[in-house]
Amino acid sequence: MTATAEHVTSTRPPEPTRAKVFIVPLIVFTIAIGFAGFLGEIGPLWGAAVGAITYGLFRWVRMTDSLIDAGTLVVAGAVGFAIFNLSIAARDPGVTAGLALQSSLGIAFFGVATGWVVLRHSPGLRPTTILLSAAAWGGGSYMALLTAVQMGFLDRIIEGQTQELTYPMFIAVTVASGVFGATANVSFWSRLSSPFAVGFVVLTSILAWNEIGFSVVEIWTQFTRIGEFLGDFWPPDFFWPRSIGQPETFNMADALLETFQIAIVGATIGCTFAAPLAFWASRATAPNSTVYWISKSFMSVIRTIPDLFWAVFFATAVGFGKPFAGALAMIMFSLAIMGKLLSETVDAINLGPLEAARAAGATHNQVILRAAFPQVAPNYVAYALYVFELNIRASVVIGFVGAGGIGRLLDERRQFFQWDQVMAIVLVIFASVLLIEAVSIYVRRKIV
Amino acid sequence: MTVPDLTPQAMPDMVRPQEPKWPQIIRWGVTLGILIPLIWSVIGLEISPQRLWAAPGEVWVLISGMFPPDFSNPGDLMGKLLESLYVAWIGTLIGAAFSFPAGFMAATNIAPRWMVIPMRGILSAIRAFPELVLAIIFIVPFGLGPFTGALAIGLHSIGTLGKLTSEVIEGVDGGPVEAIGSSGGTRMMQMRFGVVPQAMPNIVAYWLYRFEINVRASAVLGLVGAGGIGAEIVGRLRFRGDWPKAGAALILTIVAVLLIDAVSAAVRRRIITGQPSKSVISKWMIAITGSHREPSMEIKS
Amino acid sequence: MSRIEFSNASVTYPGGLQALKEVDLTIEEGEFVVIVGLSGAGKSTLLRSINGLVPVTGSVKVGDREVVGASNKEIREIRSDIGMIFQTFNLVNRSTVVNNVLMGRLSKVPRWRSMLGMWPAEDKEIALQSLERVDIVEKAYIRASDLSGGQQQRVGIARALAQEPKVILADEPVASLDPVTSHIVMRDLQRINRDLGITTIINLHFLDLARQYGERLVGLRDGKLVYDGSIQNVSDDVFREIYGRAITPDDLLTEEVT
Repeated sequence: MTATAEHVTSTRPPEPTRAKVFIVPLIVFTIAIGFAGFLGEIGPLWGAAVGAITYGLFRWVRMTDSLIDAGTLVVAGAVGFAIFNLSIAARDPGVTAGLALQSSLGIAFFGVATGWVVLRHSPGLRPTTILLSAAAWGGGSYMALLTAVQMGFLDRIIEGQTQELTYPMFIAVTVASGVFGATANVSFWSRLSSPFAVGFVVLTSILAWNEIGFSVVEIWTQFTRIGEFLGDFWPPDFFWPRSIGQPETFNMADALLETFQIAIVGATIGCTFAAPLAFWASRATAPNSTVYWISKSFMSVIRTIPDLFWAVFFATAVGFGKPFAGALAMIMFSLAIMGKLLSETVDAINLGPLEAARAAGATHNQVILRAAFPQVAPNYVAYALYVFELNIRASVVIGFVGAGGIGRLLDERRQFFQWDQVMAIVLVIFASVLLIEAVSIYVRRKIV
Repeated sequence: MTVPDLTPQAMPDMVRPQEPKWPQIIRWGVTLGILIPLIWSVIGLEISPQRLWAAPGEVWVLISGMFPPDFSNPGDLMGKLLESLYVAWIGTLIGAAFSFPAGFMAATNIAPRWMVIPMRGILSAIRAFPELVLAIIFIVPFGLGPFTGALAIGLHSIGTLGKLTSEVIEGVDGGPVEAIGSSGGTRMMQMRFGVVPQAMPNIVAYWLYRFEINVRASAVLGLVGAGGIGAEIVGRLRFRGDWPKAGAALILTIVAVLLIDAVSAAVRRRIITGQPSKSVISKWMIAITGSHREPSMEIKS
Repeated sequence: MSRIEFSNASVTYPGGLQALKEVDLTIEEGEFVVIVGLSGAGKSTLLRSINGLVPVTGSVKVGDREVVGASNKEIREIRSDIGMIFQTFNLVNRSTVVNNVLMGRLSKVPRWRSMLGMWPAEDKEIALQSLERVDIVEKAYIRASDLSGGQQQRVGIARALAQEPKVILADEPVASLDPVTSHIVMRDLQRINRDLGITTIINLHFLDLARQYGERLVGLRDGKLVYDGSIQNVSDDVFREIYGRAITPDDLLTEEVT
């Protein structure tokens, strides 16, 4: 290729520095923290997580550009951490309040140092900024780690080898944090390719991995012994009342029927009441802002409560072992799901027909029913089928807390360690869920 | 009321169509199709008017029994809640890691037919087992504890995320993929440079969404001894009658789930649109991520 | 009586934008009025202040009823006598044509009947007659989304007619249509005005259409009334003044500057 005169005059833009600046330190950081995680060192993870959040807060401060705000945030962060530490102190007799306060001071120091650097920081990459940032992060991590050791976070895992293991860890984490601090101030944040997001995900994963004692080795070990367990589960016993010779009180068919009935009642009534709620919780169709906010908050709260909690809640209220409780639980469950799906759809409707109906002198209810509802009707039907499908799945589960259905049977058999019978029930659940799903998908495809 | 004569003289031979009958038939069919099973179920579940009438009162007794909630041991509750979150996180991680390749294998525009059909079968089979049922089975080899819960949630997430991932992949624009292929790119290159960049934002958004769902699921799993805050709520309500404590756990769960949902929704919106939304939460997210600057500005500096 | 009288009417939107500024205007019964102005000059706002779809102050009277300060019930009564036609047709795409036209009857039938969709035979008859009026009755039981743009706009006109209105407001009725269909729709509106004596007020931004079909011209600029008079006397200079700039081919439906 020969360059022409035009090529000479046009300037090439510099390659964005992000890739080079970040990838290597990020890998180093990840490995260091990952190493810490696999050794079971929780303290540095806390330190780094808190550091990341503090860093974020100071980025925010930088936008407001006020030292007073910064001070407020440091104090708030320190107080927050003191409360957190004190709650740990309250739980663990080995940690005194003095130690907890000391650790809070460490965090506060960390916050001030980071905040100072960040406040001084301006866009661009200056050696002093990098150095200061590295110092702040490294120092902060060191302090966090130190307090973690003092508070006994590390004792559990290290078991007597504290001295030998901790000092290399101290150095590793300090260096890693320093590198992180040095690079983080370059401050590119483009979607997920940022140190913050990756760092957060990695940290949280390692922390969670440790805390719940996850182990790949364990999975493999148990997998190799799969034959032993299969013997317990196989062959499934579909006809236990007869085989045991008990009188048939509550057999599989009854249980399955009850599950279906609960799902039908829940889906029908829940979806019916969800419709007005969804229209109230959408700005375009709400009669006024009070109704809008009330229905919107009501829906977001009921959405947070899992199906099983509803079941135990209603079972406690109206009596255990009654399918009525299950039906009530499924009503709330359906209401929550349908309300969310439908109100999102209503948010997206074409407002033109609503204006046309209003211009023709329609009342608010007429506008909703004749101009808004027809627009979402096919979605409503599709969602209702989906909700019914979810209800079948969920009503399997709610039997566990005494709210009726096939789950009740599953729980009962499980408690007798009758694994072949459990397997039979699981297979029946499996088959009915697949069947319902197939029917629901078929009908939905026909409608929409 | 008088109907004005609107009949036009200009077009006398216009034919009015017959009003079709089927909408009426469908209407009655659907009404009956809903009402009859409903009545059958209501009778089957022995839901009588008296019980319906009594229910609000009974629920009120329970709610007032939960107040004021007993937050006397917050560290304990927080620990349980965190355990639930960890279980959900690891479950999502497992789901994301395995559903990613599975999603490619189940996408008709990527994988050959002989691979798509069995893969879809496997994914929907996995989905048919509720997390709770999986947890019960896993308790046998892996024992009680959060580990079992994470496995159950992880496995179920592979099924749901695998399906969603394959749908996203099937929805990508085929043009770039074809372009890479036509310039001599291998199948692997087509995926890496043609499919992944298009599908990734939506897939990551689904991961986050699954995490929100898994938080709820893991809260539930405590019931069968798979760790987390669920055991706290269910146990106290059902076996110990310690309503204020259960109320505290319930409130904590609701607050945590609300927070996670809000943050996750803001992040998802940002991942998909590339633009921050205007809500308070996303302003906070922007503050943390420092994303207020335009990417183009960053390239210049 | 359906004389429309604006006196000192202003509209300020919640965002603080004042879209209509102290307008005084009287439109007699049976008139065919064309409103022109640049986009953002307040044409749509002027129309919507007649049926109270925008927050209007001052005084707007339709017949002897006052729009400003009317209660919900009163405003619905005023609206029930005013048909409206929209640029984007505003049909419920998934509903059938006749169901869309029946929306014009919402204010006239008992509420429970409209809620359940059990329309009286009499109202159905009016709806079908309205469709005949715009020559589209053969499509009565087809989904609105299956019609072409011009056909959809005629359904929109039928919906307005089904109200048995005394006034028809048309907000850019042909802006989304091709030239041939535009003329059909404009002729429909003209015919309705002449045959039924319904006061018709139309927003247009094509000057040649305004000149061809209009009788009286109202010009708006920045929310203020800047011209009001017979269309015969209107020269290009007047348009230039209303628009505040020279006339361009974009202002005409046919591509030639006259």
